[in-house]
Order: sequence, then structure tokens, then C-alpha cells
Amino acid sequence: MAACWLLRSLSSNFSTVLPLLARSASLSPLQLASKPYFGRTLASSSRLSAALKFTDKHEWIRVEDGIGTVGISNFAQEALGDVVYCGLPEVGAQLAQQDEFGALESVKAASELYSPLTGEVVEINTLLADNPGLVNKSCYKDGWLMKMSISKPAELDSLMDEAAYERYIHSIED
Amino acid sequence: MSESTMMSQIKRTFSLLNQRACSRSSSSFFTDSDSAGLVLQSHSTDVYQNLALEDWIDANVELQGRGILLLWRNRPAVVIGRHQNPWTECNLPVMRRAGIPLARRRSGGGTVFHDLGNLNLTFFTSKKAYDRQRNLKVVTDTLRRLRPGLDVQATDRFDILLNGRYKISGTASRLSRKSSYHHCTLLHSADRSALSSVLRPSCPGIQSNATPSVPSPVANLLDHAPSLQWEELLGALVQQYNTEFGLHSALTVIDPTNESMFPGVGEMEMELRSWDWTFGKTPKFTMETQLELTNEQPPARCSARLQMEVKNGQIESCHLDVPVEWVPVRLSSELSSVLIGERFCPHRAAAAFSALLRSESGATHTRLHRLCDAMLTVMG
Repeated sequence: MAACWLLRSLSSNFSTVLPLLARSASLSPLQLASKPYFGRTLASSSRLSAALKFTDKHEWIRVEDGIGTVGISNFAQEALGDVVYCGLPEVGAQLAQQDEFGALESVKAASELYSPLTGEVVEINTLLADNPGLVNKSCYKDGWLMKMSISKPAELDSLMDEAAYERYIHSIED
Repeated sequence: MSESTMMSQIKRTFSLLNQRACSRSSSSFFTDSDSAGLVLQSHSTDVYQNLALEDWIDANVELQGRGILLLWRNRPAVVIGRHQNPWTECNLPVMRRAGIPLARRRSGGGTVFHDLGNLNLTFFTSKKAYDRQRNLKVVTDTLRRLRPGLDVQATDRFDILLNGRYKISGTASRLSRKSSYHHCTLLHSADRSALSSVLRPSCPGIQSNATPSVPSPVANLLDHAPSLQWEELLGALVQQYNTEFGLHSALTVIDPTNESMFPGVGEMEMELRSWDWTFGKTPKFTMETQLELTNEQPPARCSARLQMEVKNGQIESCHLDVPVEWVPVRLSSELSSVLIGERFCPHRAAAAFSALLRSESGATHTRLHRLCDAMLTVMG
């Protein structure tokens, strides 16, 4: 099941056909043994589309041209349940890494959102005001939360790539 | 055990529970079952002090593998959820006249009226151990044990209903960095007429995407179980909590303003009291309504249209459409523009209008005054 969402998220994020990279055997055990699949590009190797990095609070960030788009992961949106309200920051807000920048209210609870990096909010997803469910339906694409400038690019190294995030989720679930 | 011994034991427990920074250095203390849970009761009946205490515990206490039950009650207050609009949820003018404060909590959910007849229970756990149904089971099991005939049931909305119809408990919760809390109300003997008078909108015509409350008919436990005393209820809840979670915690009364036990709690209380938090956190909304203007000498009446956009509790835009027979356009547009940037608040608006009112006289002044009053009335 986790492998299926991975496939869906890959196909929704990569708009161009990228060179297929075979997965090395040492990567996660979520192999699709019987079907062909698209490999993932590594963050540093592609300028056409950036890879996602993840925090341990289940936010993702995708950096393109110095601007990071932030959202929550599929694991997070499933755990959260139906989002009924997105409390987002003001454009111009200055955030340090791990600062609380807003909250999502779902039927389950009000959950804080934590900034993946240090920077300034440059845009928020105004569609979420009338359609907070986008966070559930399309957490990696239309349900993005905010965009921010990156003051300390080195902080990206402290975040998990997709493989590391998958391992992290498995370790919590156990 | 003397009170000072009890307090120093609590202090020790809290400082050991505070070891977030050195979580790796686990001592045998953490495996001791007495440290697996705490049952606390707040000595304060101030809503802001109690909400600050919740914030403090949530931010500072290590909750992996343990839980805390906090029991508290407040002098009359209205508490709105994190993303709610106070102007649609409660009657601010009535509350002001009655001296009933408004607080915004950090958890989600709807608006509630608190008074000394309402018991609040907060269940603090790690995020992994977050289980609202289990917590509510503590409450329903307690009630059924105390009064076996009582028909109480938790719903899938996490309300507790009496006799299948009356809400006696509502729930809200918060998930934060490392922990979570689930709190709920329990109506023992609340003032139901005060409740219904304050849980009404202040202003007409508000459009917003703030989270709405789901109104429900309520009942007090005391009305259906007349012999159920407050102390009996509390004692039984503590016992059931211990039973459910395999603990042996005695109830300890604490002072949430004790800065040495809860360093930084005073600052949390100040933030909760601030206008910026209580009103300024209101999601953006528009208000559109008709103002009925009447005058005596000479008799006159007409309707005006008022439209405002309010963001962060401040008026971002204001359009006033008043027939020119009432006041000239220059005056109505002046009235609109003095409000821009002001807090959406009748006192601030009245102050903003005062200079304009002073500069007019005679019949124009009277009609302008009527117009100002009509605007103040719809601003809660």
C-alpha cells in the first residue's frame, strides 16, 4: 500500500520523462516485484524537478529556484483525518527551522505545523481557505500549504530524503 | 503526608518528567509505575491560568510512556476553539455586561460555556497513545458505576450524550511537537440559562470559513442524578482513570500560577489573555448587514448598507452605503475611512467616530449619531 502511494506521488510530481534509474537492491523493501516502475532521481542530479525532503514532523519541502514549497506527507494527512481548516501564516512571516507556522484542524485534533527550514513566507495556498480537503486529496500537489524563501540552504541536508522518510515511517509504525 | 512533602514530591516528579533534553538517560524512576501517570487538580478557577497550565504541561512534560489527567473548572467564561470566530459564536455584549470573559484555546473544536458546575478533564499522552474513545470510556464507565441506571453514551463525534439526546460532554484536542492532549467538558450543575444567553452570535451577516460550532441541547448530570455530588464524581473519575490505565495516582491539587514549579507559565497566561490571541487569531471574515436608521425630529427612516472585511481582528475595508438624505456622502465615506486599521470593536469604533461627531452640529449631528450607533450595535 505504501508502495502504491509512492508511485502515485512520483507520477504527479514529475512532469517530464526522466531517465529511469534502477533502484539499487539496498534501498527499502517496498519493491514492486512484478511490475515495472519508475526510479527516483536523486536531489542533486536533476534541475528539471526537485526531489522532496521530509521532516520528522511529516512535512515535506520541495526547493526549486531558491523557493521551497511546503506541505504535509501522505502519512500525515492519513493520520490527521479530514482537514476542516488550515491556519496558515502571513506572507512575510519570518520562520526559523522548526518554528510553529500554523495549524491544521481536522476532525481528529488541531495539529501544529513546523517550518522545515529557516526563511520567509512568500506565498500561501489561498485555495485551502474554501477547500481545506485538498490537503487530504492531493497532499503533494494541490494541497501545498505555503512557499518560503530559503535563508540557510545547508539546513536541507538535515532533512530526510524519500527513502530515509519511508524507513522513518516504518520505524514509528512498529 | 504533609502538604509540603506532597508539594516537594510533585516538584520532584515534574522535574524528572521534564527530562526532555536528556531523554536518553533513563533511570529506573521512569519504570516505576508511580511515574507512569499523574492525576492533578488545578486550584485556580481562572480560565486563562488553567489554559496556560495545559500549554505548559503540553510543552514541558515528557509524555512518552506516561499520561497525566488534569481536572479543572472555571468561573463563568466562554471558550472558543482555535480557529473560531467569537463574533459568530458568542454574544460579546451580553458577556461584557455580565463580566464573562472570552478565551480562545489552542485545541480545535467548538464553543463552550464554562462555570463552576462544569468539570473539565484533560488527558495528556504521547501522540502514539492518543485515544479519545478510551478517555471518554473513563468518563462513561465512571458514571455507569456511580449510577447504574444512567444512559450515557459516547458518540462518534466524541460527545457524551445522556438519554441519547442531551449533550453532557464535548471534546477537543491538540497534537503538538511530541505530545497530545484531549480535553472534554462534563456538565454537572452548570447554569443553563446563562449558557444559552451567551452562546448566540454577536453580529449579524458574518461570512467566514472559521470552524463552526455544532449546537446541541444540553443537560446537567445533577438534574438526572440529583444525589451525585461534585466530590463523589471527582473521586470516582480519578479511580476509574487509574483503573483504566493501570496506575495508582493520588489526586494532587496544584497552583497553576506557581512559577517555580511551572517556569514560564505566567508568560503563557499573558499570551492567552492578549487581544492579539483571543480576537486577532480570528480567520478573515466579511460582515454585510443592513442598518435601520430612524429619527424623531423630524420623523425619518431609511436603510443603509454596511460591508466590512476583517482580518486578524482588524478592519481591512469598510463600505457604507447611506442614502444622501440621511447624511451627505462626504460624511458616510469619512465614517468608513476612519475605521480602516482599527480593531473590530465597538469601543475602538466609537473612539474613531468621536472626532467626526464633534465636528458636526444640529440635525446633521443627530442623524450622524444615529448612524454611528447603528454601526456600533452591529459590531458586537
